[in-house]
Amino acid sequence: MNALIEVQGLEKSFGDQLVLRDVDFTATAGTVTVLLGPSGSGKTTVLRSLNVLETPDSGLVRISDASIDFGVPPTDKAARHRAVKALRARSGMVFQSHNLFPHKTVLGNLIEGPVQVQGRDPEEAVAAARELLDKVGLAGREDAYPSQLSGGQQQRVGIARALALTPEVLLLDEPTSALDPELVGEVLAVIRDLAAENWTLVIVTHEVRFARDVAEQVLFLDGGVVAERGGAEVLTDPREERTQRFLKRVLDAG
Amino acid sequence: MRLTRPLLLLVLVWGALLGIAGPASAHVDAPRVVRVGTEGTYPPFTYRDPDTNELTGFDIEVMRAVGEEAGWDVQFVEAPFDSLFPALDSGRIDVIANQVTINAEREARYLFSTPYTYSHGVIVTAKDNDDITTLADLEGRTTAQTASSNWAQVARDAGADVKYVQDFGPGVELLVQGRVDAIVNDNIAVLDYLATSGNDQVKIAGDAGDETLEQALTFRKTDPDLRDEADEALAALTKDGTLAKISEKYFGADVTVKGGSQDVDVKGSDSRTRWEVLADTAPKMLRGLVQGTIPLTIASFLVGLALAVLAALARLSSIRPLDWVARTYISIIRGTPLLVQLFLVFYGLGQVGIKLDPYVAAILALSLNVGGYAAEVVRASILSVPRGQYEAATVIGMEYWQSMRRIVLPQAARIAVPPLSNTLLSLIKDTSLVSLILVPELFHEANIAAALSTEYLPLYALAALFYWVVCYLVTLGQAPLERRLSRYVA
Repeated sequence: MNALIEVQGLEKSFGDQLVLRDVDFTATAGTVTVLLGPSGSGKTTVLRSLNVLETPDSGLVRISDASIDFGVPPTDKAARHRAVKALRARSGMVFQSHNLFPHKTVLGNLIEGPVQVQGRDPEEAVAAARELLDKVGLAGREDAYPSQLSGGQQQRVGIARALALTPEVLLLDEPTSALDPELVGEVLAVIRDLAAENWTLVIVTHEVRFARDVAEQVLFLDGGVVAERGGAEVLTDPREERTQRFLKRVLDAG
Repeated sequence: MRLTRPLLLLVLVWGALLGIAGPASAHVDAPRVVRVGTEGTYPPFTYRDPDTNELTGFDIEVMRAVGEEAGWDVQFVEAPFDSLFPALDSGRIDVIANQVTINAEREARYLFSTPYTYSHGVIVTAKDNDDITTLADLEGRTTAQTASSNWAQVARDAGADVKYVQDFGPGVELLVQGRVDAIVNDNIAVLDYLATSGNDQVKIAGDAGDETLEQALTFRKTDPDLRDEADEALAALTKDGTLAKISEKYFGADVTVKGGSQDVDVKGSDSRTRWEVLADTAPKMLRGLVQGTIPLTIASFLVGLALAVLAALARLSSIRPLDWVARTYISIIRGTPLLVQLFLVFYGLGQVGIKLDPYVAAILALSLNVGGYAAEVVRASILSVPRGQYEAATVIGMEYWQSMRRIVLPQAARIAVPPLSNTLLSLIKDTSLVSLILVPELFHEANIAAALSTEYLPLYALAALFYWVVCYLVTLGQAPLERRLSRYVA
C-alpha cells in the first residue's frame, strides 16, 4: 500500500548544532506512528518539520499529494509559500500546551479555522464542531472560555480543534506532558478512540505503556538520528542498548 | 453638525494621506480673496467684541476699510502674534494687520504699507517701583515681551533680560507677581489694558524713548502689487477722513498721523464683570470642546493608533529596512517636542508648498505623535502574546495578517489598554497646542476671553475644569473596556 506520509533524508541544524541527520520514515494511512527518545533527541523537530513549523535544511516531506523537497532552494518565494500552505493543510496539530485561543470560546476555537481559513459555512462548521465536542466528551461546554476548563478538557478541545479542519494526518506533540497525572487518562482515552477509528496519527510521547497499546510503528530517536525502528515490539523488546536504557528510565520514573 | 464634523475630519485626513489636492482656488471674476492674519487678542486693536463675539478693533476696522476700498474679499485668520509671521511666510495668510511696527530687521524680510498708526512706547512697572522711568533704567532688569514684537527688540537694545510671553496680559501678571521688573509696550495697548482691567497695581512709569514708531500692514516681498493696492486704499481713506474717524472712535485722537498718540483717551474694550465674562465664555469653550478638542482627539487617536500598529509590526518585522524606518520614526517623534512637530507640519511644510488645511495639519501632527508614542506600547503588547498563539494560527492555515487581526492583536489589546489610555489622556490635553496653528478649540477660546477681560485665573481654571471633566469621563470608560477585553481571563 502506498504511504500517506513520506520523509526522506531530513537534516536540520540550529547554528552549528546538528539536531536531525538523515531521518527517513513512511507511514501508511490509518496507522499510529510513535516518536520517542530522550530530551534533545530531535523527535519534536521531526514532528514540527511535517507541518513546517521548523524548516528542514534538506530532505523531502510528503503528506498525501503535497510535498516539499527542502534540499532544492526555492526559485520562487510565492510558490514555496503555497507549497508550505498545501502541506500544512494536510495535517492538524495538537500542542503540548494546547495553545487554544484564550479570547475565543470553545466553539470559537473550533470554527476559527474552518470558517476563516477554509471558508466553510458557519452554520455547518458549528454543527461539525458540536459533533467533535461530543466525540471528545465536551458536549455542552461550547460557550466556555479555555481558562474556565481543566487542563485535560483544554487538551481535548485542542484535539477537537485540530480535527475540525478535517486533516488527513493528526500530529500530536507530547499531548499529555503538561498535564497533572490524574488528567492524563482522559486525553489518552480520546487519542485511543482516534486510533481505533483509523485516524493516521504521529505522536511524540513519553507514555510508553500507552504507546505499546496503540503504536503500529515506533521510531526511537537519539542524537538526531533514528536509533531503532520497528513495530510496538520496540517498546517491549528493544534490540539497541540505548533504547533499553531509555525505556528503563522512563518506566522506572512512571 | 456634531456628528458630521469628525467624519469630515477623517475624510480630510484620508484625503491628505492619499495625496488628493484640495479644491483649486476659483477666481474668475470674484473679488480677490485676501487672508488677513491678526491676533484677535490685542484690544483695542484686534479683539472679539464681548457682546457680539465679532472680530473688531482699530486694526480690524482699518483693514475692512482698506479691503472695501481696494475691492478685496477680506478674510480674517486669528493666530497668536508669534505665529503670524510664519503664517505669512508659508502663504497661509497674505497680510498681517496687527500693529506691526516697522523696523530694519522686518523691512529686510517684508514689504510694508504706508503707516496707519503712529505710536510711542511706554514702560510699565509695578505701582510701587520708582527705580525705572526711562529706557536706560532697564539695563540689567527683566522685562516680559512677546518674542517677535518690536518692543522685545527695544527692551533688548536697552540691555534688559527679556522673558517671552504670549500676550501683553500675561506679562502684566508677571509684573504684578514681581517676576519681572517692567514691560515695554505700545501706549495705546497699555491704556486699554488699564481701563479694561481696572488693574491699579501697575502704572505707566515713563516713555520708552522719544521715538515715534510706525505701524503698518505687512506683506510678503513677493506681493508688491497687493501692497501697492493697499497703499492706494490707505491714501484714499486718509484723504476722505475715514482713518481719522476710526481712530477717533477708539482712541479719542487721530493716531493715524504723527504725534497723535500723545493725547489718546482709551475707554477700555471690556466692561463686563467677572461673572459675565465666565458666563459668556463657558458656552464658547464648550463649543470649542465639542467642535475642536473632541473631534481632533478622536480623529488623531484613531489615525495614530493605526500608525502605531503599523510601526510596531514594522519593528517586529524580519525585513531590516522596515525595522529601521520604524525605529527612526519613533525616535524622532519621541525625541522632539510636539509643538515643534506641529510647527514643522504646518508652517514648515507650508514654506515648501505643502499647504495643509489647519485641521488636517493638526490631525496629521497629533496622530504622528500618538503613533510614535503608542508604537512601543503596541509592540510590547504584541510581544506579550505567547509564541504558541502564532504557531496555532499558522497550523490552522492563517496568513500573517489574518493571524494578527484575529488572534494576536485582540489579545494584545487587553494588555495595551491601560498604557494607551494614558496616551489618550495626554492627547486630549495636547490638543490645547493647536490654536498655535490656527485651529480654534477650547483653550483658544479661553485665551481670547482672557486677553480681553484680563480674568486669567477664573478663565484658565474653567478651561482646566473642562479638560479635567473630559479626562475623568475617559477614565470612567476605561474600566468597562478593560473588563470587556478581559472577559476570557479566568
